[in-house]
This record gives sequence, structure tokens and C-alpha cells, in this order.
Amino acid sequence: MTEDVVEADVLCVGGGIAGLMAAIRAGEMGAKVVVAEKGNARYSGCGRSGNDHFEAYIPEVHGPEVDEFIDELLKTAKGEIHLGRAIFQAQFARTLSIVQLWDKWGIPMRYQGGWEFAGHSFPGRTMTHIKYEGRFQKEVLVRQARDRGVEILDRVMVVDLLRQGDRIVGALGVHTRDERALVFKAKSVILATGKCSRLYPSLTPGWMFNDPHGGVQSGDGRAMAYRAGAELQNVEMPQRHIGPKYFAKFGQASWIGVLKDPEGKPAGTFVQKPDRKYGDMILEVNKLVAEEQSLAGKGPLYMDCTDMSEEDHGYMMHWMEHEGNVSLVDHMRDEGIDPRKHPIEFATYPLRAGGLVIANENAETSLDGLYAAGDESFGDISAAATFGWIAGENAAFGAETLQHPGLDSQAGRIKEAETFMEDLRRRPQGPDWKETNVALQQVMNDYAGMVRNGALLEQGLSHLRRIREKAKDELIARNPHELWRCLEVMNLIELGELVFLLALDRKETRGLHRRPDYPFTNPTLDKAHVVRSVEGAPHVEWRSYQGGR
Amino acid sequence: MPPIINPELCSRCGMCVDLCTEDVFYGSEEGEIPNVTFPEECVHFSGCVYECPDEAITLRIPLPMLLVYKSTPTGR
Repeated sequence: MTEDVVEADVLCVGGGIAGLMAAIRAGEMGAKVVVAEKGNARYSGCGRSGNDHFEAYIPEVHGPEVDEFIDELLKTAKGEIHLGRAIFQAQFARTLSIVQLWDKWGIPMRYQGGWEFAGHSFPGRTMTHIKYEGRFQKEVLVRQARDRGVEILDRVMVVDLLRQGDRIVGALGVHTRDERALVFKAKSVILATGKCSRLYPSLTPGWMFNDPHGGVQSGDGRAMAYRAGAELQNVEMPQRHIGPKYFAKFGQASWIGVLKDPEGKPAGTFVQKPDRKYGDMILEVNKLVAEEQSLAGKGPLYMDCTDMSEEDHGYMMHWMEHEGNVSLVDHMRDEGIDPRKHPIEFATYPLRAGGLVIANENAETSLDGLYAAGDESFGDISAAATFGWIAGENAAFGAETLQHPGLDSQAGRIKEAETFMEDLRRRPQGPDWKETNVALQQVMNDYAGMVRNGALLEQGLSHLRRIREKAKDELIARNPHELWRCLEVMNLIELGELVFLLALDRKETRGLHRRPDYPFTNPTLDKAHVVRSVEGAPHVEWRSYQGGR
Repeated sequence: MPPIINPELCSRCGMCVDLCTEDVFYGSEEGEIPNVTFPEECVHFSGCVYECPDEAITLRIPLPMLLVYKSTPTGR
């Protein structure tokens, strides 16, 4: 395997919204910035083909008290995130300036000349999200990054971080289309690889990549952060989403309709008829509603938009296209499905991995020189944009004068990783990535689903460890594309094992982690469940952050 | 299978090969009609459909992903 060395002040791992915003800010501060992106930054990440909602605190609308805004926001589902209030304060101190920047760069953040608040909010309460036309946002961000001298390396997967003492000094990567390895000598690394798909089965078991996040977000950042010794949080807490049945897409707040049962009775209590301002908040209050109703013999549930006006229909389809759902809109057109006439079935989507890389309000992780932003740490578009910006600023600060210690101490680690990749490519036969991924999804689904107990988790963990050993010794990659997928699957297995370990340690029922052997929520565990690797073994602790979640 | 390229329209520019994040067109030769090598890795975002300068690509949604809908309003 040949090896190229790339030097940078700041390496951004992932070219989604957070990675590009980090690169833009670090670039304009004068740092030498490289973005390593597994796919093409123009079409990568959750924002790849658009978004239409941006959480924004706008003082002229919301008044001078940001804390009131934050309190309202925390009422809508944020999952189990324990990072402290300082995170939200840092985000909303900057959202207006980020919104103004995006607008100036050519991502339209205003609608018909003003702020358009709609969706993700309860009727009669503070509106927290502005509508924006994000369909071409990635194109704009890529251009802004390049204008600031940022080098974007598409088709490069970062495989592992390089650590010297308590400091991250670079990373190892591999091209996804040929046999070249890349050694990054970087003063700071920003992890922005997004969420974690493909750990659990998809909505359509035969189509693994039918995932609203896209298929290649395989938790690479959190897996490599863990291996390097950084702290992760609440990895065992699963998340679920709700949306159109079988065509897995985000955009719950873009629908102007009412979620109804077959008799036409609303499933929730928030709206009785389609409302373009609010959508139906039942989708955010209880994402399990479709599954629960179905299991109770009261399904299926439909998103019923049939009572909406012509104007609302035009409005909804406009925003659907900006929300990245142009393929869904095309599919409806091709199949003659018209939301004005046809209620569309909604389903609760399968489990997906939760958890995050712990980063503070400065986007710093627990390791020097390592930052995390976006879904890697603390999600949604607004947070990705804001903490990307913050990470880039802090990573670039003082980079010019900082001395890099060199990579002499890393030779053994680099050789080990390269040898593993060469082994995968040389093996004549064995399970490929897909077979291994299916085996992983099977064990996650059956032993670490929503309902778990000690015996189930112990059995699943030991089975997963057998799969892991076999994968390590037998996995094959017939070409560089398969090698990329194999490395993703190894990351997924790493995270799957952590799900089991932390689920065993969480002796309570909370959220979607349901343990009949510990059926109550333990209020003393209203904390972050933190794990890090100490000399190769997981070290787990509970930690409180100032100001609650 | 997901992206379908119309050979009559395709100018072999390679735009789709360049843009696809999942690298569904992996292994396609420069100057040739792209090969849909890994159709099952398509995530159905239609990036290739809308970026193709020749409008040569359509997306076929796999049968398991068809939307489920009711032909009359609920409760009626």
C-alpha cells in the first residue's frame, strides 16, 4: 500500500455542514485546512440535498431573553443529551449571525422578504425554527470553503486518529477508489462524520441503504474517537424516527396534515386540520405512535393532508424539495400519489444508534487537539453550522505558532492499520462487508432492541464478540470500494459492542432503553453515561453537567 | 435498479460518477457510459438525476420502497 503524507493546521474529518463550516472558519482565520470526505462534499452528509428548518434565536422576534427561547426548545424531543446549558447558550448566541452569513452566501434564509417561522413548534407557543431554502446549501458551502483556500479531498476515508500523549497529532486515511493510504500530520482534528446508520436493520431489510441519513454514515468519528481515548456519551440510548412508510426520509415538520387513524380520528391532540404553521407535533412528541397504534390493532396511521388548501399544497411541495425530498416528490408524481387526495401511511422507523462524542461549548473533546461538531456531537442543522464554526475558530486559533511534535512515534500504529487493510485485500475467501453487516444488524436487533434484559444483553454481547473476532480474521475486500465498506463495518461493530456494554451498565428503564429487569427510571441516573477507552478497556462513569441536559 | 442511464442521451461526462457519495458508479471508465456497479447502495436522493447535464438519468424506486397510501381520505 503506497502512502502519501498531507500536512495541515486543521484536518476536518467529513465534509457535511459541520465539517465545511469548520473549514470555512478555520480557513478565513488563515489556517491551512484540509477536509477529508468519504464521498463527494457536494453531496455528502444529512444536508446533502437540502433542509428546510433551522433553529434560530432572533432577538427582534423572540425578545432579549435567550434562556426563555432555550427553555421552549427543550420541550421538544432532544433525546437523552446531557451536555449542560452552556452548549445551548453558545449555539443561540451565534445562530442569528450564522443565518445572516448563509443568507449572504446565497442560501436563502428568508421567505418572501421576511423570517418565516413554521414547524417543530407547539400551537400557541414560541416558534423556534425558521424555514429556509437549503436545497443547494452544500454547493454554496463547498464554494465558500474553496474560496478560503480549503483543500477538499473527496473519496478519502479517515480510518483512525493518531495520538501522542494526550494530544491528537493527525490521522490515517485511505482512498476509497485506489490502494493509497494517507497520513495526515495535523495540529488539530475536527470530527464531523455525522450519525451512525446500518447498525440496526433498515425499514426495508433487503435495502440496507434506505436510511434518511443516507447509507455511509457509519459512526466512523465516534468509533475512532473512542479508540483514541476520547469520551462518548449515552451510546446505548437508541433513537427512532417517524415518516412515510417504506421510503425512509426526514421532513416530519414539512408535512401540512394531521396524523389520523383509519376512521379519520387524529392520533394526537395538537391539530385537528392541516396547519402550515405548526404541522402535527404528535410526530415529535411520540415517534412510536405509528408502531404502538399498529400493535394495538388500531393502525395503520396516515398523514392526511386532504383538507389542505391549494396554496398550502404549493407551499408544502416547495419546502419538501428544499428539505432534501425531491426524490420523494418525484416518486409521488410518478405513482400518481397526490397528498391532496391520498392519505400517506406513516411508520415508526427502526432503531438507530444514539450517543455522541462529548464536546463542550468550545467544541473541544476530552483530548487536546480534537474537536467534534454536528451530528458527531450535538445535532441538527443549526447546531452543525454553529458548532462547526466554533470548532474551526478554536482549532485555527494560534495554529500558526503551534509546533507539531512530528509523527515519528506513530510509525508502529500506522503500519498496524495498513497491514490490516492489506490483509483484507489479500484474503482469497471469507465473509464480505455485507454479510458481516447483516450479522451485526441481526444481533443488534435481536439482543439490543428497545426491550433488553441482563441475560439477553450478555448473550448478544458474547455473540457479537464472536462475530467481531471472525470479521477481524476473515473479512475480505475484493476491491478498494469493499475495503471502505469493511472499515465502516468494523467501526459499526466497535459501536455495537459499546451499546451492549453500556446497556448492561444502565440498570434502569429510560426513553427507548427498556429493561423489564429494571422497570423504573432511576432519577439519580439523570446524568451522562460516559465511556472512554483506557489502555484498550472500556472505562464507564456517570457525570452531571451544569444546568441539566 | 436505482439509477438508470439512457445511453442515447448520456454524453459520458462522468458528472454522476464524480458526485455520487455512495460511489454507486464505482469502477466506471472515463469517457464511457457509467456503470451502475452497486445499485443496492443507492440512497435515492436524486443528486445524479438533477446534476446530469444531459438529463440522461432516471431513478427507479425499488419495489420494497414504494409509498403506501390510501385512495380515499381517512374515515371516508
